[in-house]
Amino acid sequence: MSIQKDAYEIIRTIVGDSNITDDPADCIGYRSGPGGYENGTGYDRVMTKLPGAIVMPDTTEQIQQIMKVCARYGVPYVPYSTGFYGPRSHPHVDSALIIDLKRMRGFEIDAKHYYIVVEPGVIYSQIQQICMEHGAYVVVGGGGAQTSAVANLLNDGWSPLSYRIGLPQRRILGLEMVMPDGEILRMGSLSDGEDPFWGEGIGPDLRGILRGYTGLLGCLGICTKMAIKTLPFQPVTPEPQGISPDTSLKLPEKRVKWLNFTMPDLESIQKAHIELGNAEVGGAITKVPLFWRAIAKAEDKEDFWRIWLKETEESVKNFCIVRIMLIGYTSEEQFDYDYRVLSDIMEELGGIERRTKPSDESWFKNADSAGMWLMTGSYVSVDYIMDSYTQAFKQGVSYMELKDRYTPPLMPDFKDLGWFQGCEMGHLGYFEFLMYWDQREDTSGVDQFYVETSKMNIENGYYTSLLSAHQPMMLTGPKYGPNYHEWILKLKEEFDPEWMCHPPVPLAHDEFVRRSPWMKEVCTWDPPEDLPYPERWKDK
Amino acid sequence: MSVIDKIHQDRFDTPKTPFALDIEDLSNFEYDMQHCIKCKGCYWVDHTYMPGMENAVRCPSNLWKEFDSYGAFGKMRIGLHLLNGELEWSDHLLELIYADPLCGACDVGCKRNLDLETGLTLEALRVKAVQDGAGPMPGQKKVIANIRETGNIYGASASRHSWMTEEIRVAEKADTVYFPGCLSSYQKKELAQSTAMLLNRSGIDFMLLPEESCCGNVAFSVGDIAAAREIAMKNVEKMRNTGAKTLVVSCAECYRMWKVDYPKLLKIRTADLGFEVKHIIEAAHDAWQEGKLSLRNPVNLQITYHDSCGVSRLCDDWEPYEGERGWMGTIEPGLTRRRGRQGLYQITRELLENIPGLELKEMQRTRENALCCAGGRGTSFDFPELSAFSATERLREAESTGAEVLVTACPWCVSNFDSVKPEEDPFEIADIAQILLKAAGQEGGTV
Ligand SMILES: Cc1cc2nc3c(=O)[nH]c(=O)nc-3n(C[C@H](O)[C@H](O)[C@H](O)COP(=O)(O)OP(=O)(O)OC[C@H]3O[C@@H](n4cnc5c(N)ncnc54)[C@H](O)[C@@H]3O)c2cc1C
Ligand code: SF4
Repeated sequence: MSIQKDAYEIIRTIVGDSNITDDPADCIGYRSGPGGYENGTGYDRVMTKLPGAIVMPDTTEQIQQIMKVCARYGVPYVPYSTGFYGPRSHPHVDSALIIDLKRMRGFEIDAKHYYIVVEPGVIYSQIQQICMEHGAYVVVGGGGAQTSAVANLLNDGWSPLSYRIGLPQRRILGLEMVMPDGEILRMGSLSDGEDPFWGEGIGPDLRGILRGYTGLLGCLGICTKMAIKTLPFQPVTPEPQGISPDTSLKLPEKRVKWLNFTMPDLESIQKAHIELGNAEVGGAITKVPLFWRAIAKAEDKEDFWRIWLKETEESVKNFCIVRIMLIGYTSEEQFDYDYRVLSDIMEELGGIERRTKPSDESWFKNADSAGMWLMTGSYVSVDYIMDSYTQAFKQGVSYMELKDRYTPPLMPDFKDLGWFQGCEMGHLGYFEFLMYWDQREDTSGVDQFYVETSKMNIENGYYTSLLSAHQPMMLTGPKYGPNYHEWILKLKEEFDPEWMCHPPVPLAHDEFVRRSPWMKEVCTWDPPEDLPYPERWKDK
Repeated sequence: MSVIDKIHQDRFDTPKTPFALDIEDLSNFEYDMQHCIKCKGCYWVDHTYMPGMENAVRCPSNLWKEFDSYGAFGKMRIGLHLLNGELEWSDHLLELIYADPLCGACDVGCKRNLDLETGLTLEALRVKAVQDGAGPMPGQKKVIANIRETGNIYGASASRHSWMTEEIRVAEKADTVYFPGCLSSYQKKELAQSTAMLLNRSGIDFMLLPEESCCGNVAFSVGDIAAAREIAMKNVEKMRNTGAKTLVVSCAECYRMWKVDYPKLLKIRTADLGFEVKHIIEAAHDAWQEGKLSLRNPVNLQITYHDSCGVSRLCDDWEPYEGERGWMGTIEPGLTRRRGRQGLYQITRELLENIPGLELKEMQRTRENALCCAGGRGTSFDFPELSAFSATERLREAESTGAEVLVTACPWCVSNFDSVKPEEDPFEIADIAQILLKAAGQEGGTV
């Protein structure tokens, strides 16, 4: 069903005929799923709806006008940058408008002061190429070089490259938002002038509200411009090589190199992260799941399973390889010096260096998370943790045990620990827990496991990143804070009292649990009978 | 029992479903359509090769109109709804399905990571459009009628061989057949002439196909499988009857038809055609390597090369496949995925780079990342705006390299580029056969 006719007509005059549509086929082209992040899950099936219309503005002014029309006519809308974030970037209520931001392609670089200013239609690989040509780099989120940098930094922003500045919000500088009432809010130094260089500006730092730990999934307005910090790299621009699917970046040998070390055990991996961080060596340190290696080796899906099913719990447990990207930021001499420091540390810890290729296949300019779907066809990252190294590892082990209980439908992963990396130069440990399944199986277990992880975190006193919009907030809110949920709801009330912007986020996962009979057995908390958001958005 | 079967039996209950690489039944690609993840690998240039803000996209349709529904990811979703009977055909839906040169950019992009059969799904959608009585588009129908009536896409009654000149030597009987295709036979005759002269220069005796007619590219590409199959059967039979071992083509569309789509239509392997299909690039490369073709004449030009889709990402050999899909979507028996690896990328550059005086200046989107000119596969008959848009965009990229000539390997590309190039623009468009012929010491065509 299209959006309200009057609103449609006014928006049409704002953007022109060719930038708005409510044709049924176009709307289906924007449906969530059935493939993609969280595919086949209950959340996708129960919570997403076909959009009523799609609009593609190309200026902040147009977005302001559109949002004002939506506010006046009661049209719910969802910001959409590339739409890769599965059901989370698709409408949850009928007759909603998708505001597709791909035509917002503004880009500027200030090479001298190491920052860029981008609009939401710009993706990471574009940015990385230009940054590298200027001796700089950005952290391409592990979700992929095809994601919008703005959308990624509003919600996530991690990869092994976050080793130097791990907390994504620290890479967000001046920023421009259109609030749900259509007014512009400028943050950081943009609040007082045209220079976006500072993340902090006059008054309170609103970046915390904007994204918290993992973002509010587009329910507090639309970010139209963001200044992003870039990091110093080295002067040689790595060249692409190979023919698809075997493409990679050729790294300048004496300036950038991936190194692999086999370590005696998990404990020595932790120590390596801490010691290398203390020595301020490297540009990335990570331990990746063994099945990612199998993906890299496999010719195709069938080959992956042939390789993977040869593993055992023992072999997975003994897979102790740490990957380090060494960068000669200032000179070849610095590269050599860091290599010697690294070798000393590794020798002390019993690490043995393995041969590596002088290229980067995945993290720098590609970050092809898409390849992960090859194994099972369905995927979600169930939690990201940023904590001390020891705590992050402990949490990883708990996840592994819980996950085992839900296999099947989760894929047999022989208790693989997931993906671990060092952040903030050794001061933080990052763990990402991944789950894979086949959406053609009964996926109730997937939905249950997802929520059970929150309960496990609460029970064990672990910090979780997917706190608000990604999980039932009535479960997590009272336990973290203890009034986290109340604060979020007050903010929503203040900035978007009618819940026009992506309703019913941030209560969408609560709503999903309420609507789904198979979630009853895991719903051991006490959600309110009636969730506190406007009646008009409740599925009658 | 395999380990997979054992785990499958013990712990998982994924149903096994039949699966074939058969575009006549859209349901074969249901799994692919269900598993598109909106990563848009089919839209962007391979990220490793991403040049920056400009020239970032390789999908002509979605560059032309930017709603997701024009990209492969949109069409995968639309395809599922069509399959399930949840969407009616409409003029707009026909535009979404047909305003697309099926250039294979999406297919190689998707197979970079996921191996979904995106290209075949798009072909199957057109077959379904025809099966449902909705497709093809009016202009394309007319072309198919022309082929039926006259054996060529124009409905021309003139001889197909009017491109021949006295200086070209054609044998009565030879091991090689040269098949110029409709466009070079009737419109871009200089390309057929250059190719024939190049074959002569290479010492390759060739004959022409008796009662030569259209390759059927448009019929196949727009989903009229019945018409295309009839043409394929006749042409393959005629070729087999000649007893020749090699068929040489100079058109990238003909190349793809003979090498990939005829076997697809006839449900045989490319290797079982009974003869080898070669583009003139391959024939010239072989002759050059064997020392039969000399490319020593200086060609003092700065050129850029446009990889026509039919000789690049679309030309992997065809192999019919029937099997079952089960555990985690794996298929049994195994299948060698067609990822565009057989594209004639390397040998083309080897030839060009060995010509004295010639400087090859690559565009930012090259090889599997090339932006299709959108002139082929029936597109220009009903969506000339799309063909003109993409050709203009590509021409802009070509000119920005600083080259003087854009060289390509297909008369459809040449013709499409010619049609958008302003007359006063000194930039030239040429076919690779013309350049090679010049390097071989003979003038041919305009360059
Ligand atoms: C397989 C996979 C792996 C991932 N791994 C990682 C990882 O390792 N590291 C990491 O950092 N991230 C990871 N992610 C998250 C991923 O990076 C996000 O998809 C990305 O951040 C969002 O960019 P997008 O262009 O896809 O946004 P979209 O899908 O368009 O939007 C994402 C959310 O943001 C909102 N939104 C979009 N644009 C705006 C805007 N301009 N203003 C306000 N709200 C907006 C949307 O409404 C939606 O809720 C992963 C995702 C996937 C699917
Ligand atoms: S590359 Fe494949 S999976 Fe990704 S969006 Fe395109 S069709 Fe879908």
